[in-house]
Amino acid sequence: MRTFRGGLLIGLVVAAAVAAIAITYERYDTKTLKRTIRRGEVLCGVNAGLPGFSIPDEKGNWTGFDVDFCRAVAAAIFDDPSKARFIPLDANERFKELQNRKVDILSRNSTWSMSRETNYDLYFPAVAYYDGEGFMLPRAKNIDSALALDGSKICVQDNTTTRLNLADYFRANNMKYQEMKFDKLDDVVKAYDTGKCDVLTADASQLYALRLNLSKPDDHVILPDIISKEPLAPVVRERDDDWMLIVKWTLYAMINAEELGVTSKNIDEALKSKKPDVMRLVGTEGSYGEDLGLTKDWAARIIRHVGNYGEVYDRNVGSGSKLKIPRGLNQLWSAGGIQYAPPIR
Amino acid sequence: MTKFRHLICTIVAATGLMLSISHSYAQQPDRGDEPGLIPDDSVQLDPEFRKQMVFYRTNEPPGTIIISTAERHLYLIQGNGRALRYGIGVGRVGFQWQGLVNITRKAEWPDWTPPPEMIARQPYLPRFMAGGPGNPLGARAMYLGTTVYRIHGTNQPDTIGTAISSGCFRLVNADVVDLYDRVPVGTKVIIRQKPEL
Repeated sequence: MRTFRGGLLIGLVVAAAVAAIAITYERYDTKTLKRTIRRGEVLCGVNAGLPGFSIPDEKGNWTGFDVDFCRAVAAAIFDDPSKARFIPLDANERFKELQNRKVDILSRNSTWSMSRETNYDLYFPAVAYYDGEGFMLPRAKNIDSALALDGSKICVQDNTTTRLNLADYFRANNMKYQEMKFDKLDDVVKAYDTGKCDVLTADASQLYALRLNLSKPDDHVILPDIISKEPLAPVVRERDDDWMLIVKWTLYAMINAEELGVTSKNIDEALKSKKPDVMRLVGTEGSYGEDLGLTKDWAARIIRHVGNYGEVYDRNVGSGSKLKIPRGLNQLWSAGGIQYAPPIR
Repeated sequence: MTKFRHLICTIVAATGLMLSISHSYAQQPDRGDEPGLIPDDSVQLDPEFRKQMVFYRTNEPPGTIIISTAERHLYLIQGNGRALRYGIGVGRVGFQWQGLVNITRKAEWPDWTPPPEMIARQPYLPRFMAGGPGNPLGARAMYLGTTVYRIHGTNQPDTIGTAISSGCFRLVNADVVDLYDRVPVGTKVIIRQKPEL
């Protein structure tokens, strides 16, 4: 009798443990790649409309830096960049929708921060775009450093980290400024454009977009100084390592391609290259693609259909776009910036 | 001595041109030099090629010049993660080179003596041209090491951002004057090409 009760107890404990493990296991999704392949397209959570990063035209065709990144993932998997569906998400719902498996990736100008990784069970595989707070001011002032802004009247949006960073920066550099804060960004811009303040501060990528709408865009410069860290990164669910690695190495393949001089225009030539690092990238040597769960030519597909990092940058936000944002921090580490990808080997 | 150097520069450049002529024609129609053309100073450079302060991270000391031929930019390193950036015109296919050199000599409104090979190709060229606004070398020249190349001005400001030169680096006159006043003889110049496949 005693043994029987003991056996029952052990049985119950084991059953409970198994159930607990099963529940824990279910909580984490590890099948994103499998589902994506079965579905035949990548679901991308994007910003509903941010010039240069993700914006649809009247016909619903999406363009932008974040959009192209998602197309690159689709190209790596399906050899077809059009196998990406874009789902606009607002800032509040974006992380929840990713956790609820409504999208496979967030490619939505999201800043990578510690708490977002620890609190949301999410993972930011790599930095796609280094943004940060900058300053715009009239060209005629002839100022080329943020350290020369002592005593300026500065327009800033209220209730933002932008405003806090501004205060920190001026305090740290022992400079004074007069703040003009507004609830709405439109009002910040209007105040600056009508000369109510000397300087406008916002994230640099935003400043270039805002400048386009000033009455005389060419009369204003944006300083090269970046005073805060806003590393924008794609986001995936935690613990789906296979999927995370695909997203991470898609970006790194694009950065490595630029560093090695492989572009969408010379990809066929690159496939004949005898340079070992080019061969590993385009898949004529090694089995790096298979190890990712993809094909040998995964990176060649990305470069052919979407381009290398520099091509994507220039087309969407750089010299080939309306925004004309200088490469700055996003230039390769070997050419003045900090974009650095681990090697494919 | 000065004329002799110009002659050497142009002779070597012209020889290189002959060697790679079929190649360069395929890549880019040869616009050729236009001696006597008075530069149109109202030409507005593309924003990307206007002189501006930019973020640039490097271990090279302030005062160093870094030329990125693929970007068509010349950086004068300022330190503290920034550089003064100028737009340039660079060597066409067959006239690309890279390396580390120093500025060995500086000249204002340099003279120009096209070599016979160049005259054979472009018979309209003068045999000698005194420095001045119509001179293809423009307002200033900075000689690079013992090479035949230099950083110079231009009387064709609309060629900034293109690859048509014989290996020299050209800036608009206002920019080359600005740069000339900032860099002494001895300045370190690093020329970077895009990687080969």
